[in-house]
Amino acid sequence: MALFLPALVVLIVTTSAPLVYLAWTSLERIDLSMPWLSGFAGAGNYLQMGADPRFWHSLWLTLIYTVSTVVLQVLLGLGLALLVLRIPKGQGILRVAAILPIVLAPVVVGLFWRTLVLAPDVGLVDVVTRALGLPSYNWLGDPKLALLSVIAIHTWQWTPFAFLVMLASLSSLPPDVFEAARIDRASAWQRFRYITLPLIRPAIVIVVIMRTMIALSAFAAIFAATGGGPGTATEILNLYAYRTSFSELNLGYGAALAMVLLAITLAVSFVMFRARRAR
Amino acid sequence: MTGKRLRTVVLVAIAAVLLAIWAFPVLWALLTSFKTERDVLAYPPTVIFTPTLRNYADVLFGSASLLPNLLSSVIVAGVSTFVTLLLAIPAAYALARLELPAKRASGFYVLATQMLPPVGLIIPYYLVLQKVGMLDTYTGLIVIYLTFSLPFAIWLLVSYFEDIPREMEEAALLDRAGRFRALWYVILPQVRGGIAVTTIFVFLNAWNEFLFAVVLGGNRVRPVTVAMFNYISVEQTLWAKLAAGAMLAMAPVILLGLIAQRHIVKGLTVGAVKGGGRRA
Amino acid sequence: MANAGRVSMRGIVKRHGSFTALHGIDLDIAPGEFFALLGPSGSGKTTTLRILAGLEPLDAGQVMLDGVDVTAREPGERDVAMVFQSYALYPHMTVYENIAFPLRMVGTAKGETDRAVKDAAAKVHIDHLLARRPGELSGGQQQRCALARAIVRKPRLFLLDEPLSNLDAKLRLETRVELRKLQRALGVTAVYVTHDQEEAMTIADRVAVFMDGRIVQVGRPQDIFARPATSVVAAFIGSPPMNLLPADLRDGELRVAGVPLPAPRMAGRDGPITLGVRPAALRIAERGLPARVYLVENLGDTTIVDLDVAGQVIKLRTEQAPNVREGDHVHVAFAPEAMHVFDPATGQRREG
Ligand SMILES: Nc1ncnc2c1ncn2[C@@H]1O[C@H](COP(=O)(O)OP(=O)(O)O)[C@@H](O)[C@H]1O
Ligand SMILES: [Mg+2]
Repeated sequence: MALFLPALVVLIVTTSAPLVYLAWTSLERIDLSMPWLSGFAGAGNYLQMGADPRFWHSLWLTLIYTVSTVVLQVLLGLGLALLVLRIPKGQGILRVAAILPIVLAPVVVGLFWRTLVLAPDVGLVDVVTRALGLPSYNWLGDPKLALLSVIAIHTWQWTPFAFLVMLASLSSLPPDVFEAARIDRASAWQRFRYITLPLIRPAIVIVVIMRTMIALSAFAAIFAATGGGPGTATEILNLYAYRTSFSELNLGYGAALAMVLLAITLAVSFVMFRARRAR
Repeated sequence: MTGKRLRTVVLVAIAAVLLAIWAFPVLWALLTSFKTERDVLAYPPTVIFTPTLRNYADVLFGSASLLPNLLSSVIVAGVSTFVTLLLAIPAAYALARLELPAKRASGFYVLATQMLPPVGLIIPYYLVLQKVGMLDTYTGLIVIYLTFSLPFAIWLLVSYFEDIPREMEEAALLDRAGRFRALWYVILPQVRGGIAVTTIFVFLNAWNEFLFAVVLGGNRVRPVTVAMFNYISVEQTLWAKLAAGAMLAMAPVILLGLIAQRHIVKGLTVGAVKGGGRRA
Repeated sequence: MANAGRVSMRGIVKRHGSFTALHGIDLDIAPGEFFALLGPSGSGKTTTLRILAGLEPLDAGQVMLDGVDVTAREPGERDVAMVFQSYALYPHMTVYENIAFPLRMVGTAKGETDRAVKDAAAKVHIDHLLARRPGELSGGQQQRCALARAIVRKPRLFLLDEPLSNLDAKLRLETRVELRKLQRALGVTAVYVTHDQEEAMTIADRVAVFMDGRIVQVGRPQDIFARPATSVVAAFIGSPPMNLLPADLRDGELRVAGVPLPAPRMAGRDGPITLGVRPAALRIAERGLPARVYLVENLGDTTIVDLDVAGQVIKLRTEQAPNVREGDHVHVAFAPEAMHVFDPATGQRREG
């Protein structure tokens, strides 16, 4: 107990106490740009949210962003892992390549994409599209494309993670099970559907849970690539809470938004862990 | 057979494309970092050009030198990693081995703290640190870094401690070592590898952190991630310098990532086996 | 010897939640004895050994070593050494460092440690391997290293948990003999856990037979073999173990499958009994129980014949190759002295 206590105390002080303070803050009006208006607001911040279209918009974007990035990562990661497993040589170098995006700071990734990859005219993507005779797009400037772009950035950076986990899981499957299935006349698809999938389900579930949590609080890459814009086109709830607190300096309302995000995160993780245990 | 051949060729081609997609932006940035700003904007883009070290020289020793920022990052990431390990090693050992009252609950608590959205933490930290005048200090940043590195490190280390057979420790107890010396002579030497991997991951996460650094940092304490971000906002089109700076800023983590390569899956999923990790 | 090594356990109870692993174990082991804990897997042998070592907290009872109550003492304070089933060698230390570790922990002088380590290593024939690490040893060598680590400190009590189970069959037989010699030479008390009845019967001075968390019989191997205390023990000991058949005792007459047999001399009540006969005591005869030959297993020097007696398979062991073939109808007989009688309800042995 003496060994565990210091860490426990530190965790309580550094994580739980601030959350209590956050909850308290969310009931206050703290507007650093208009400090004379500060005071207790009760449920005011939460009531304000109901009538705040920007809040509902950010909630909607959070949903789109989270679901699409997680689904893309799982599908691409699994597909690639299945493919790569059949490559006789060069798996090692692919693993190394897959590590590159993962270890990069998301903010740097956002910057890379904003400049070298997606910038009009000279970005990699535009170079390719222009070479193919297609028109040039303003990937981060056009509100519709911007959301697609930030989803692509996140997917690019984190699909390797799903890929590596699935690859590790697939390579640890016992080969004799598949041999037995072949002898039992299972087709390739049947083998995948009835043997591979159930066996790597734990890995898939892990990836889904982890990536969902992370997508919900994604920040740096979007912030670096679009800053939440243009306008509010890529402003997921996390960014909205940040901008409210630190650009508009309305910390009370920002805290309320953060509380909503916290509640969503906890609810989602609760449901996911439940689902994981139930099966 | 030709059918099989063809399939192999297709597979290898797909692998090559993958390799390109994942490695290219980094390689492209590396290439760009050796170009002059004029070469960067050339269309079609040049692959053959006279490489220059000007960008690196500028980034390191120019007016907006990255050196202080690199130092900031080293201090923040280094100290927070050290403190994290100091707290996490005994805690992980206790969680993995000892009979703790409410052991399950404690483990779950550690896990839950790992899932808190950072934006929810940054607001109270900002308000408190502002009140006590500790914005833009190393202490403030290091403390908030513990919120994500400590739970992560505890869980990663628990998995390594659990890999050691319980009998190893019992043998040491029978050999009259006592609890403390059993930990010191028998257990710790065997988790050295795990501690090294944990150190790498904790350091990497701290190095890459941005949100906390941008809000709680300032002119004195400005890690490279924040510096990179400011760079692009200020000097919009100096991409070659940006690339050079990014290469410098990311060199340590790329290196560490490659060193810890074989452990990366475990490091990335460990929280997940029991809960969820966090890095964003 | 300075250390005697007398063990006495009283009323040991161990629970895991609602499951009771040990229901009040009583055990007395004399100094210098080689004592085996024998029983099927899950019967509580390891738990008993670990309680003796102090590794496992207990729910009730008392552990005494040389007359001193050590129930509350730490493992390191009991002066006992243990060889784990997995050996539990420290992988980051050389063989030398492994063996030296228990001495180092009590601050033994360098020179003395060195002498003791080399001496212990020589006793188990691994003195040429001292510089290696456990990962570079074969299974047998690892086992010896664990043994050396246990004997180097000259403990009063030597605990072994299935120490031979990870060795191949030939090595197991050799090591068994050596272990016995070593224990004799050191004069140390040894408590030896095994689920292999043959191992226990050949190596031990005395054996305690465990069943479902209870000790059902304690005694010398030959006594346990000759007079198993219950039908369960009878069915566990011997290879193949004792045949058990339902029978009826009435008016001094014994009937098995309706066939009358000469009753053993006993004061048993009339009624159903369980009749036990060792396979080696059975023979094929002109008269006796009618049986059909089911399977003939030729093991070279002995032959095992499986016989179907009124729907129940019994085994017969003989050194002479019997002149029977599968499917033959024969009769089996046995001497009245060879009979063991058990109560069918309680399984307890009935004495004559
Ligand atoms: N930690 C534990 N939790 C629950 N049951 C246990 C635990 N340890 C042992 N048991 C149970 O106690 C019984 C005795 O175990 P053990 O002493 O290891 O048996 P043996 O060594 O004779 O095979 C077994 O049924 C085992 O399943
Ligand atoms: Mg056992």
